[in-house]
Amino acid sequence: MSIQLAVIMVPVLFGMMGFALDLGRLYLVRGELNHAAEAAAMAAASQLIGTAGALDHANTAAQQAIALNKYYFGSLTLGQDAGNLTNTITDPAYFSTVAGATGNDPNGSAAGGTTARHVQISVTADAPLLFWSVLSLGASRKTPIAAQVLAGVSAPLCVACGIEPFAVAAKDASDLVDFGFGSPSDDVHYTFYYNCTPPAPAFLPDSGQYAPYTIINRYDAGNTTVSDETDQLFRYGAGGLLSSTTPNPTGSTVPLGCVGIGDSVEAVWNGPLFTAVPQLCTAALPQVAAAALCGLFSRVDNATLPAACTTAVTDYSPLAAAATIDTDPGLTQDLYANYNGNGRRVITVPVVDALAPNAATPMNVLGFRQFLIQPNPDGTSFNPSDSNGRFVATYIGSPMPLKQGNIDDRFGFGVCPATSGPGKVVLHQ
Amino acid sequence: MRRARGGNVVLEVAMWLPIFFLLLTGIIQFGKITYIYYTLSKTVNTVAAYLATQNGVNFCNGAGDPIVTSAINFALTGASDGSGTPAIFDLTADMIGVTTQCIDPATGTPGTCDTSGCGLPSGGQRPDLIVVSIPNGYIVQPRIPYILLDPIPLKPQSIMPNVGGS
Repeated sequence: MSIQLAVIMVPVLFGMMGFALDLGRLYLVRGELNHAAEAAAMAAASQLIGTAGALDHANTAAQQAIALNKYYFGSLTLGQDAGNLTNTITDPAYFSTVAGATGNDPNGSAAGGTTARHVQISVTADAPLLFWSVLSLGASRKTPIAAQVLAGVSAPLCVACGIEPFAVAAKDASDLVDFGFGSPSDDVHYTFYYNCTPPAPAFLPDSGQYAPYTIINRYDAGNTTVSDETDQLFRYGAGGLLSSTTPNPTGSTVPLGCVGIGDSVEAVWNGPLFTAVPQLCTAALPQVAAAALCGLFSRVDNATLPAACTTAVTDYSPLAAAATIDTDPGLTQDLYANYNGNGRRVITVPVVDALAPNAATPMNVLGFRQFLIQPNPDGTSFNPSDSNGRFVATYIGSPMPLKQGNIDDRFGFGVCPATSGPGKVVLHQ
Repeated sequence: MRRARGGNVVLEVAMWLPIFFLLLTGIIQFGKITYIYYTLSKTVNTVAAYLATQNGVNFCNGAGDPIVTSAINFALTGASDGSGTPAIFDLTADMIGVTTQCIDPATGTPGTCDTSGCGLPSGGQRPDLIVVSIPNGYIVQPRIPYILLDPIPLKPQSIMPNVGGS
């Protein structure tokens, strides 16, 4: 009697224990695989900058990220087999739309480097079974668990943080896509110069369009680490606006480290060093512009110490040494699609309605667009000692995701959502 | 005969009962540990994912940075000011360690970040990876009657790419 009972009860009991133990562990493994896939997808998505080489960089980033995360109580490494437990990381799949990635768009097929905006990571790994392995359904003593994550570039940001404070005026404010800068595929080279009273300075070689800029006011009086004004300008030029808890000096509700579309009180730099009198283009470059330009220069060259920069920036030498240079400084002025660097040469600038000549006139932010800093035609870096702060940059639209920002109209300017512009990296699933 | 068989059943039950009881408590304890490990793993992952998308985290300060503190509070209690109810009993903010790693551009392998610029105008190196772990482990004591087991330190770890700002 009890033998028969035991024969019936053992599979039932093991099945129940399987539910209690094995199923719990399977859920744990699935959670860990999800975390690993999320890390890989975010790493890959941050590399989708719209160049031909973007997918290679994204693949490398995804593999690096996924191999660092472990599963099954942190004991097994993804990408390495352990005994009979194997795991498969399928090659990341790239899509230009979310609908294409989720299969809701019949035309949504895999995208190439210049069009990829979203990446899907799939991971399948074996989880060991303990109790179910004695039953027929778990005879292989393991079962595969899959995790799939979709990450990509978000909708255009309304508030962009960490961007470069070089404001340019829209050529055509009614052109909501390119603000009159021409299509990114047109490869228009602009001579950027610090806004001054005409006659305008000469074009730099291989450039037939002007883009005068001014530095927007983000003087951070409360920053105790980077307290020097020229050091701040250098850091903004070298790495974008720094996050800060100090109130925005323009009086705007937008944080000091960010710029918001529709913010109509944006002003030109108004730190202690700023000279309010409009400068003639023939005059020497103001120190405010020189310091920011030296920051930009450190993105392509952090080894040479130009005299103009050591004069303009208080701590130029240590600051330049700490700056990361672009892995592709460019040999000649090149198409953005062929750019193969780490994104340091790409600057995201606020586009305003018109440049203000003095600190009292407000500017209205229309959007954010990106430019690629170009070397001189002979392959040398641009000259940071230029008396008009000139450099050549190509209009590229807004392909590179930003580090931080808000998609919603957080500060109530009433002009968002933006129809076009850079996004940031987000997880979709 | 009947009495003898009745005695057998009682004896068998008496033999099996401790084993069943052991199995049952073992399952409960194993389930508890799995559940705690999953929750811990979710917690460290939440801290890492939160920090990976933030702007202005000063990793030079480690856990002293206000954003790191609020990330840990958020993961532990669901409220960034720490006012919520803790998800795990006895898991405190000081048990969670936040470190960073920087990928060597030449070799592509993660290593320690350059912190020589910390506190100076140049600032520390921007990390490529955020590593959140429980360095000393969250100690769980499996409780099975009449068997003394060593406490188990659970040490989940989460690594996230830093896609957030400077």
